[in-house]
Amino acid sequence: MNPFALAILLISMFIGTMVTLTSSHWLLAWLGLEISTLAIIPLMITDHHPRATEATTKYFLTQATAATLILFSALINAWNTGMWELKELSPLSSNMLSLALMMKMGLAPLHFWLPEVLQGLSLTTGLILSTWQKIAPIALMYMIFSSLNIQVLMIMGLLSIIVGGWIGLNQVHLRKVIAASSIAHLGWMMIILPFSPHIMMLTFLIYILMTTAMFLSFKIFNATQIKMLTIAWTKMPVLVALMMFILLSLGGLPPTTGFLPKWFILQELTLQHIPSIATVMAISSLLSLFFYLRLTYALTLTYSPNTVNSTIMWRFKFNNMFYLPLMVVMVLATFLLPLTPSLISF
Amino acid sequence: MTPLMFIILSTFLLCLTGLVFHRMHLLSALICLEGLMLSIFMGMSTWCLQFESMMFSLSPMILLTLSACEAGTGLAILVATTHTHGSDLMQNLNLL
Amino acid sequence: MFYLSFLGFFGFIIGMVGVASNPSPYFAAYGLVMGAMAGCWLLVTFGLTFLSLVLLLIYLGGMLVVFAYSAAMAADQYPMAWDDWSVFIYVMIYWILLLIGWSYVEELDVISLFENLSYVRCDWGGVMMLYYLGGFMLLLLGWVLLVTLFVVLEITRYISFGNILKL
Repeated sequence: MNPFALAILLISMFIGTMVTLTSSHWLLAWLGLEISTLAIIPLMITDHHPRATEATTKYFLTQATAATLILFSALINAWNTGMWELKELSPLSSNMLSLALMMKMGLAPLHFWLPEVLQGLSLTTGLILSTWQKIAPIALMYMIFSSLNIQVLMIMGLLSIIVGGWIGLNQVHLRKVIAASSIAHLGWMMIILPFSPHIMMLTFLIYILMTTAMFLSFKIFNATQIKMLTIAWTKMPVLVALMMFILLSLGGLPPTTGFLPKWFILQELTLQHIPSIATVMAISSLLSLFFYLRLTYALTLTYSPNTVNSTIMWRFKFNNMFYLPLMVVMVLATFLLPLTPSLISF
Repeated sequence: MTPLMFIILSTFLLCLTGLVFHRMHLLSALICLEGLMLSIFMGMSTWCLQFESMMFSLSPMILLTLSACEAGTGLAILVATTHTHGSDLMQNLNLL
Repeated sequence: MFYLSFLGFFGFIIGMVGVASNPSPYFAAYGLVMGAMAGCWLLVTFGLTFLSLVLLLIYLGGMLVVFAYSAAMAADQYPMAWDDWSVFIYVMIYWILLLIGWSYVEELDVISLFENLSYVRCDWGGVMMLYYLGGFMLLLLGWVLLVTLFVVLEITRYISFGNILKL
């Protein structure tokens, strides 16, 4: 793509999200969502492969429908209350709105587009789609959390955790696995949202860090399937070792960053006297943990069944623009747990 | 519920069900999206009248601009899909 | 006055049923034309003349021409109109649901009962606002239109090469 066109599109993606983040009026919030949806579409369709076109079509249809649903629920709210502010919502429109936002992010009963769309994209665009494009809906959820229906959030969140774990078990494609992990993480966020929105934001931040690290590592290895991970060690052994930490961090194992949000969410739910849901969440995150561990196994513990003269790759120096951000994100996504007290108190 | 509220709600829900149920053509789905936008347009412009808000009567025009943008993008995607998949039938979108 | 606007109500709903009942795109576009026309009529009876004009010009003048053109591209061999069996079932189901919904209508609107067409309505003020206090909005919308131009050009750019190029 022409760099000027690319710059315009990236800038408008940024503008769209910023308009949504700074808006106090539903029309502006919707406008921002629309702008960022429009701006990412040419990035998705960059190589005009049939799969990319199809992913773009599916993404466009779901996002446009969700956006109109958001605006419509705001309109119904305005007809009932006479206000367009982003604060109080009547129950009908808040339910409709939370469903629309969840459709935009891809939570469980409305998640079917996410694995397919992510599968059709390049890794860079997939990174943008699964991190930056989720900021605006999450921020809207954060702004209206007090008028959201707790039951809807609970049911959708729990369903997302279970479904996210379940659909990841069956995949050999890395992008679909990441989509499943995204669904599960969003489920954790939705459950904690009515009780403690700050923990939700912290979870979201850590999710962004981990997903970014994951996508950038895949980008460097150019890996889109599990079998490509088995020969990843021929390229950069150090990165393979670090990726193991990232995967365990996504799974939420204690010495890594990913344990932090799970720890706080479970603690908060216990303090709110709903240990039953906390138990179900903890158990169903084992499903997610299983496929992360399978990726880890393929990545670090297996040899690919071919001749191993490919260590010659170590001699080459790869000039990749992703190394620097990857280093930063990698450290943050794995070794942030000792900083927990300062993170939780900011 | 007043008749005005009834047509806004019912046309939106009609087009939404039309969009989410089985669509044969991608173009029909896009037309349903336009129908959704049209009912929101009607709702917004009558909202200005109901609440006598002069300031707000620019919002239907903003909505119409954005919906034109969306329709244009949708038709461009339709063209791209027709070229890669051979037709705009929704059942052809099954590669992923 | 209510009887005049009732015509608009009815036409709008008929048009939207025509869109939603899954006919061929040709006929769905007709349904949308009808819905938009009836919507214009409704707005005129309420006195929102400028918005009605904008709707007529943009919908019927601009977008629907493009939609009709695309419908010609995506035409069926045997187009299904509303008398086709599957479409007819949809239409019937939608009408039954609408009748059930209509039973919840209790009172009439204030604006459709006490309506007077005589004086200048407020919706011209919106245009003024767009150029006066809403200047930032105008800028943003212009930017969005520019971006849409780029988007459309980028999406349809490689098409002349065919999809052999990237396979």
